[in-house]
Amino acid sequence: MSAVLLTLFAPIIGGLMFGIERIIRARMQSRMGPPLLQPFYDFVKLMDKRPLMVHSFHASMGIMYFISTWFAMAVLMLGNSLLVAIFFHIISILALTIGAFSVRSSYSIIGAMRELIHLISYEPVVILMVVALYLVTGSFDIAEILSYDGIPLLQLPLVFIAFLGTIPMLLHKSPFDVAEAHQEIIGGPDIEYSGPFYEAVYTGRWIEYVYVYFLVFLFGGSNYFVGALLVVFTFLLMIAVDNSTARLDYKKMLQFSWFILIPLSIFNIFFLALGGK
Amino acid sequence: MEVFVILSIILPIMAGFAIYMAKSDRITSMLSYIMLPVLSIMAYLVYQADLPMLVETPSVFNFLVTIFDFGLLAYFFWVGYSRKSILVSLLAIAQFILLLVVLSIAPHSDTANIYVDKLTAMMYLLVGIVGVPVAIFSTRYMDYNEKDKHKFVAIVIGFLGVMNFAVSANNVEWFFALFETTTLASLVLIGFRKDEVAINNSTLALWMNQIGGVAILFAIILMIKDFGVYHFTDLLAMDPAKMSMAAFGFLSIAALIKGAQLPFHKWLLGAMVAPTPVSAILHSATMVKIAPFLILRISPIIHNTLLSKLLILTTGFVFVAAAVFALTQDNFKRILAYSTISLLGLMMLAAAVGTPTAVAVSIMLIIFHGFAKGFLFVEAGILEKLYHVKYIKDMNRLFERAPLTLMFIFFGFLNMTFIPFGTFIGKWLMIEEASNFLSSGGFVMLILLVTTGGVFLSVLYIKVLGVAIKHHRFSKIDFTPMDRNFLTVSVWYYLWLVGTTIFIAPFIGYFIMDIVTPIAGSTDIYADGLSLVVGDSTLYFWQIIGALVLLLIIHLAPLFVKLKVDQTHPYNCGEIYPREAESYDFNFISKYEEKINVFAVTLFLLVLVLGGQLL
Repeated sequence: MSAVLLTLFAPIIGGLMFGIERIIRARMQSRMGPPLLQPFYDFVKLMDKRPLMVHSFHASMGIMYFISTWFAMAVLMLGNSLLVAIFFHIISILALTIGAFSVRSSYSIIGAMRELIHLISYEPVVILMVVALYLVTGSFDIAEILSYDGIPLLQLPLVFIAFLGTIPMLLHKSPFDVAEAHQEIIGGPDIEYSGPFYEAVYTGRWIEYVYVYFLVFLFGGSNYFVGALLVVFTFLLMIAVDNSTARLDYKKMLQFSWFILIPLSIFNIFFLALGGK
Repeated sequence: MEVFVILSIILPIMAGFAIYMAKSDRITSMLSYIMLPVLSIMAYLVYQADLPMLVETPSVFNFLVTIFDFGLLAYFFWVGYSRKSILVSLLAIAQFILLLVVLSIAPHSDTANIYVDKLTAMMYLLVGIVGVPVAIFSTRYMDYNEKDKHKFVAIVIGFLGVMNFAVSANNVEWFFALFETTTLASLVLIGFRKDEVAINNSTLALWMNQIGGVAILFAIILMIKDFGVYHFTDLLAMDPAKMSMAAFGFLSIAALIKGAQLPFHKWLLGAMVAPTPVSAILHSATMVKIAPFLILRISPIIHNTLLSKLLILTTGFVFVAAAVFALTQDNFKRILAYSTISLLGLMMLAAAVGTPTAVAVSIMLIIFHGFAKGFLFVEAGILEKLYHVKYIKDMNRLFERAPLTLMFIFFGFLNMTFIPFGTFIGKWLMIEEASNFLSSGGFVMLILLVTTGGVFLSVLYIKVLGVAIKHHRFSKIDFTPMDRNFLTVSVWYYLWLVGTTIFIAPFIGYFIMDIVTPIAGSTDIYADGLSLVVGDSTLYFWQIIGALVLLLIIHLAPLFVKLKVDQTHPYNCGEIYPREAESYDFNFISKYEEKINVFAVTLFLLVLVLGGQLL
């Protein structure tokens, strides 16, 4: 039941997280920041704007991005195999990048290519994380992982650190926001969306927040308190990192993922496998 | 039932002869259309029969096969001589001597020479359902500025019969003869256009595959020396723990070469100079599929040996390396070829792992990859003939001229990597199986290879789709109907792919597990209604259908979505003339090609020397 509710309200929860993030970030910069509900005010305003599009296909891909992200969220909450849920995420990436490719705009196309580099960077780490969770809990079933007696984090410290490294790539946060890169390619795949269509992409991003932080929550196992603590810790850490780092280019991102994060995960998995659970 | 087995082999060859002799358009079309129901239904009847079965053949056949062998080798020698390729001639002579050795030491055996089990019947079905439409497609394709239409169709159809024969051979010597016959077919088909490039590439394909033939002959000699038998069933009946691996090391080398694994991938890439149906037939149902088939045949024997581990390493490496190379390519058919090489790596990897789940993965990939690749190459042929497009960069704004073709290509690519299609389920199960190995200690490498290879392929397909759809306005889509023949073949594949995807759970649970159980034993993969249950994970039907609907909408959207919203121009930083951005070409990878090839050669030698226990 809570799973259904969480799925249904995922956009709202994600919007609230967005609002909280903006406030905390502002406080870190000694500003007041917008009100908590600012993302929803934006939502209303954007819905009210005159809809404009480049062409129908592009606009429809924005909506498909939103729908498939939400569907991936539903699979994560209501399905049982974590691995399947991870792969559903790629469908939303497909919709976003194909849409971005289809318009005659350099920024959009560069953004789409960079989005694919993002995929190469984070996907192996995320899959290795799922495998590591399987090694500890003995199941790909999310319900089983959540009822695991003990805290997976204690056996998977390096995997958790590697996953922390990929969260900026997944959520387009500095230092790895190369696909959006506002000062450089003006939002990349998002640039050509406006009005309600931009709103769809924007809301899709909120859902991705919930999606990613739910994966963090899994590291707490059946100990929901630890899970929640981890989520809060990660959330604050990500805002701090986002605030204090400058953007790196996509090569650095790829190198960071392939030469640091993947070996870290492998190292952890290797020791687990040696220990012969 | 024996009669259907024999007919499955003989009918296509006879049809090929008839087409070649008659040289009339009507007979060519009629016979190729008739082959579709005939071969499919016969394959289905064989599949339904009481399997496995052994078919006895008169002893005169042994003699005939030997004569045929020598004739074939003499022909290869002549080809080498006339094309001034010493390598081909030398290999032909080496094969000749080795064959003489085999014949002099081979003991008499009463085991039947033809062996049909579920795996063989599955290959018959694949040949019937995926292979024959390619022949039908080529009857129309060859009308566009090509010579010798009838000869071409005849060879393609005859090739199907040879393929059927090759997968039913029990006697390894027969298998050698058929292995070399498929080499002959590829030699003729690749060199079909008879220009300089075609001749060179067909010579390349010839000598590479001849090395595979030499390896099989060595394997036969070792089999006779070590075990005194040379039939697959006799070998499978022995106790694997007490067997020497040398013969199987050589057989694996033959499979790796036939499966175009690095560094022997050049022959499959060279095949693209031939008319496109050649690529379609080589990649989908015949030729390269012998490679995973052969590994599947011997997988109960090599299961859990050093040989299988080295095979896993080699093919896993190819899975990743070929996917990375594919990213650098611009030619559409070359991209498809590299992705075939990559996925063949995964098929053989799964077959070498040899556990029930892994064998199921291998079979799943053989089937679904066959459908998708046949489909994609047919579309590539249509693009080439009707729209004169060979490079993906020429595909800009093609949706407006060739909406249906591009829609089919879109769907074919989705099939290669996305949930819920068969190829995806193969990759998914392989990762789960690899995780199982981890929990019993070891093989971290496997999981890294499977994971990264899959990601690279996904990126490749999204990139190609993106480039194909770049810079569109979708303003005036030209819906002129496609050629009837082309449309029929495309729709045939399309419907099969959609149908098997909707019913993927029963398809895997009943059909594929039926094939797996006799090879590797049973495992807990089954269909619960329309949901697929694998161990303790479930792929629910609502997930399957949800993903399918999402992907169908995405790939149909360019054609049918018309929003009534005002249009505007893209943001262009205030400039009048838009700059055209290109996609990343990943060219920097090419400079590592030498090193990767050297590494691949090392792995090959390791398979042979360490895996085959030659040291």
